[in-house]
Amino acid sequence: MKGDFREKFGRGLVLGGAWTVLAFLILPMVVIFPVSVTDQYYLSLPKDGISLEHYAAFFTNEIWLSATAQSVIIATCATIFAVILGSLCAIGCWRLSTNLSESVRTFMLIPIIVPTIVQALAMYRFWIDLGIIDTYIGVILAHTLVAIPYVIITVSASLANFDLRQEQAARSLGASMPQTIRWVIVPSILPGLLSGALFAFTISFDEIVMVLFITSRAIYTLPKRIWNGIEDHLDPTIAAVATMLIAATLALLLLDLWVRHRRQRRLEQAASVGE
Amino acid sequence: MESAGLAKKPQAEGRAASHSLSIRNLSKYYGALAAVDDVSIEVERGKFLTLLGPSGSGKTTILMSIAGFVQPSAGEILLDDRPITNLPPDKRNFGMVFQGYALFPHMSVEDNIWFPLRVRGVSRAEAAKSVTASLELVQMAHLAKRLPTQLSGGQQQRVALARALVFQPDLLLLDEPLSALDKKLRADLQWELKSLHARLGTTFIYVTHDQEEALSMSDDIIILRDGKIEQMGAPGELYERPVTRFVADFLGKSNFIRGQSTGADGNSFRVAVQDIALQQAGRVAANEAVLIALRPEKISVSRTRPSLPNAIEGRIAAFNYYGSSYHLQVETGGLGDLIVTVPAWKCEIDPAIGNSIWLGWEPDASVVVRDN
Repeated sequence: MKGDFREKFGRGLVLGGAWTVLAFLILPMVVIFPVSVTDQYYLSLPKDGISLEHYAAFFTNEIWLSATAQSVIIATCATIFAVILGSLCAIGCWRLSTNLSESVRTFMLIPIIVPTIVQALAMYRFWIDLGIIDTYIGVILAHTLVAIPYVIITVSASLANFDLRQEQAARSLGASMPQTIRWVIVPSILPGLLSGALFAFTISFDEIVMVLFITSRAIYTLPKRIWNGIEDHLDPTIAAVATMLIAATLALLLLDLWVRHRRQRRLEQAASVGE
Repeated sequence: MESAGLAKKPQAEGRAASHSLSIRNLSKYYGALAAVDDVSIEVERGKFLTLLGPSGSGKTTILMSIAGFVQPSAGEILLDDRPITNLPPDKRNFGMVFQGYALFPHMSVEDNIWFPLRVRGVSRAEAAKSVTASLELVQMAHLAKRLPTQLSGGQQQRVALARALVFQPDLLLLDEPLSALDKKLRADLQWELKSLHARLGTTFIYVTHDQEEALSMSDDIIILRDGKIEQMGAPGELYERPVTRFVADFLGKSNFIRGQSTGADGNSFRVAVQDIALQQAGRVAANEAVLIALRPEKISVSRTRPSLPNAIEGRIAAFNYYGSSYHLQVETGGLGDLIVTVPAWKCEIDPAIGNSIWLGWEPDASVVVRDN
């Protein structure tokens, strides 16, 4: 009986702890939602009723719309570059698979390891010399650099499951290396590539530290606009923007999960039909 | 240097040796280790050549060098006297079938087969006829729309074959294509591969560690060991006249008897094994040590002493029943344990453990092999 109690108590403690941590992670995000529908003119919970005026404010305010557009442009470009460069690097390292290429792959993960603020400082100094401070090119380049490691990780994981004999088969059938990459390797590692792209986009879209360092007036990304908005006046539009960002991120994440799940299901079904 | 002409006379005047493959002094080193050590092979178009050997014998390295996936450390590979040693794999025009099939999982069966034509700039519509013909060749036309994962292992291997043949390659390279299949399917596909080879007339170079596959399908077999050619020749030649202990043991089974030559006796010579005298066909000078290889199926069994030049009595220590035959393990004392294969349906002796039986064989049933 005593052991039973201790077991129950232990389980309760673990479960309670887990839920507390989860709540701690999620509640601040949940609070954002009621704030975003407040009827007041400052960041607060709704008083006399709920209102969607701050959502309307976002869609009618030139400043917010242009910031969103800038963020989308930058994130899209950074994603394209990161996916191309990152997957080429991953394929190259996988293809060579020597000690040197393994070191290269590890070396490429440095942007994840080095503190962002240190990188931002370094880029600030360097971007001045290059004359790309406060330009689209400068921000896209910086975001590409931080996104590449994520693409390398997801693509490398996909390649680990890719049978080298498929590449050999393609080559022996007369396909050049570019043809082999386009028609055989890329379709096989597509899930890893898409995951990498998703990561790259998300990271670029909400990156702020570097943006604060390497931009001034011309470039205003969405996170930077939110940051300034909080500093200037506590505009509830920020809460509306944050809510929409959370919703968008959640949607992308679920999409990723769904795509993976469907692929897995299809493979399992196919496997059960064969043999 | 090891070299031999496996090339035989062309079967037809019209198909003279216009597409031959020559491998000259091929070596491949991985660090200090020689995976292939100075191997030379000549193979004429239309032959079915098998590279046979245990794992690590260099057979796959040779095949991969022919395909272009392994860059040789030394030596040359020539197609029609044209060096191809440095040609990338996609410029060689050799079909290849892999152990794990290596079909493209995201393409349907027909798209897999279209692939080699597609990379050569042939549109799907233009390729349709060849794709269908190729699928019919391997009796897979009815499954053209399926994905590879929806096929059984045997069906996948048929598709892989069709894909490797659809672009009419100069050579077909097969890397242990049947090893992932179960025994019965493997036997069926051996018949099919052989008839396919006869119909197409394409040169097949086949790599395997399975001696049955090698014996049943090949025109010529090269037995490899530690990166070197141990012996080469037609299947019957290798089975009946192995030169070394390794070949006699690897290709089929053999009993080995070690003795001392005691001089000629007509067309054969006498061999002393302790106090037993045997007769062995051939000629070896007196007082030389000899190693005799004796196939289990060439030994006859009887209840009484047979009237054969070589006879010895023994006791059955163990037996296995295989339906068509018994494999007996017989303790003979003087000659050690001998393995004997006896057809089961007309077995004259009672194959029970402990029974005494007589073994006998002709002087030309066994061969003298080099010990190595």
